[in-house]
Amino acid sequence: MSTFTILYFAACSSYTSRLYEALPAPLPISKLYSVLEEKYAGITEKVLGSCLVTVNLEYVDITGGDGHDMIQGEVVIQPGDEVAIIPPVSSG
Amino acid sequence: MPPPPTLSKDEYKRYGRQMIVPSIGLPGQLQLKDAAVLIVGAGGLGCPAAAYLAGTGVGILGICDGDVVETSNLHRQIAHTTSRVGQSKTQSMTEYLTDINPHITYRSHTYHLTPGTAASTLGHYNLVLDCTDHPAVRYLISDTCVLLGKPLISASALRTEGQLLVLNNPPGKGACYRCIWPKPPPPESVLSCGEGGILGPVVGVMGVLMATEAIKLLTAQAKDNKLSGEVVEEENKRPIRTNMLLYSAYLNPSFRDLKLRGQKKGCIACDLEKREISLDKLSDGRLDYAAFCGTRKEDRVGEDERIEVGRYAEVRNQEHLLIDVRPEVEWGICNLAGAINIPIGQFMQSLPLPTPTEPLIGAVSLPSPPPPSWLPENHKTPIYIVCKRGNDSQVAVRHLKTYLASRQNGDGKVGGGIWDIKGGLVKWAWDVDASFPEY
Repeated sequence: MSTFTILYFAACSSYTSRLYEALPAPLPISKLYSVLEEKYAGITEKVLGSCLVTVNLEYVDITGGDGHDMIQGEVVIQPGDEVAIIPPVSSG
Repeated sequence: MPPPPTLSKDEYKRYGRQMIVPSIGLPGQLQLKDAAVLIVGAGGLGCPAAAYLAGTGVGILGICDGDVVETSNLHRQIAHTTSRVGQSKTQSMTEYLTDINPHITYRSHTYHLTPGTAASTLGHYNLVLDCTDHPAVRYLISDTCVLLGKPLISASALRTEGQLLVLNNPPGKGACYRCIWPKPPPPESVLSCGEGGILGPVVGVMGVLMATEAIKLLTAQAKDNKLSGEVVEEENKRPIRTNMLLYSAYLNPSFRDLKLRGQKKGCIACDLEKREISLDKLSDGRLDYAAFCGTRKEDRVGEDERIEVGRYAEVRNQEHLLIDVRPEVEWGICNLAGAINIPIGQFMQSLPLPTPTEPLIGAVSLPSPPPPSWLPENHKTPIYIVCKRGNDSQVAVRHLKTYLASRQNGDGKVGGGIWDIKGGLVKWAWDVDASFPEY
């Protein structure tokens, strides 16, 4: 089965208890959070709401509606892609 | 206009090794000497950042922090020393920095930055480094930098990871902290280094990278009018995008440079049409950063459900169950004899509460799962719950009581009571057993 790699940082890796894993590809970016919610109940509310997401090191707009014009059309995560879920870290 | 700075003979010698780097040269060195840099937070990020900025010869270096040095800081906060525990961090750091480089003007701001003090503090400086440790102050610093037109270098670190951003650069054009993180993290997910832990060199590397970005930024302007830390795409007038450097010590590769967005449309700081912040609102307290970031839900139990550590020590020889709900790694550091370890997450999961909102499939009520094996069969056995400081233990007491109350068949009674050990193991070490480790 074709997969992409998803990296979990900070609070997201605490919640999932892992640094990364492989998930089935292709996957439209708008479905990403529901796939994660199914695997990790409660993650949307507790972690994902404030996260930013990158695909192959580039920011993607997961909400699709903040008026940002950098992304044209919907991003579909492809096999072999690297997705990162990055929560804000405030300590230092 | 003050006269442009010049270098003394000692300064030529001191800065020679960096002045012969082509991207610095004498013009770059003079720009550094002409600069005033503020470091907010004299901790794990601020110590190495300040050390290198002092070494590099910035003209004025301000340090803002209201804390005192503690022993638990010393594994990472390299400016502070064992002999200076108890001193203010600004004083300790100034001592350390003066020893590195006496040619610099050091300014101490011995207080925590608040909306009332932010603008007057930041106003004296050309560049700000956010080395703080809480979301509320991070939004405050970013807003103040946007309002005052100061570039901001922001980094953070927790456990084995770090993040680095160069924000509001150039001022008014680059993204701010709110553009990148419009929504603050849920307060329950925010961990301090004291709670989540931090590897010294991980936060150190982030602080050192901040100093590098500061040097690049301060010496860039005159050289070729290109600002560092961001992709400036003047040729085709595309928006300025901000990069985030992500460090994760245990991932391979461990460094990632992410291309983020630029200023966010509708950002309440950067978008001039949508702007909701102003210096007036800042100074008169109308911007409530603590409320914006929220506070943790307090799941406290009543005083009659808690027991003092001294009283618990007296009943320790009687039959009881002691549950330690700290993470496994902390249990491994030290624990009380006879206790069992069920980390808080596992504890909650092992005691599922019924969800009345879920429709029952085929209207057949499923039998509730049996209680976990650690729950005493003898209902007269009292249960005591302990953690490090007595917060999670209260959550656990509350949850266990709710769980037991939800059981229909009467196996939900604990005649001996369920008790929170007040103040946790830290209090135990203070009041009962001085030999018990505090970590």
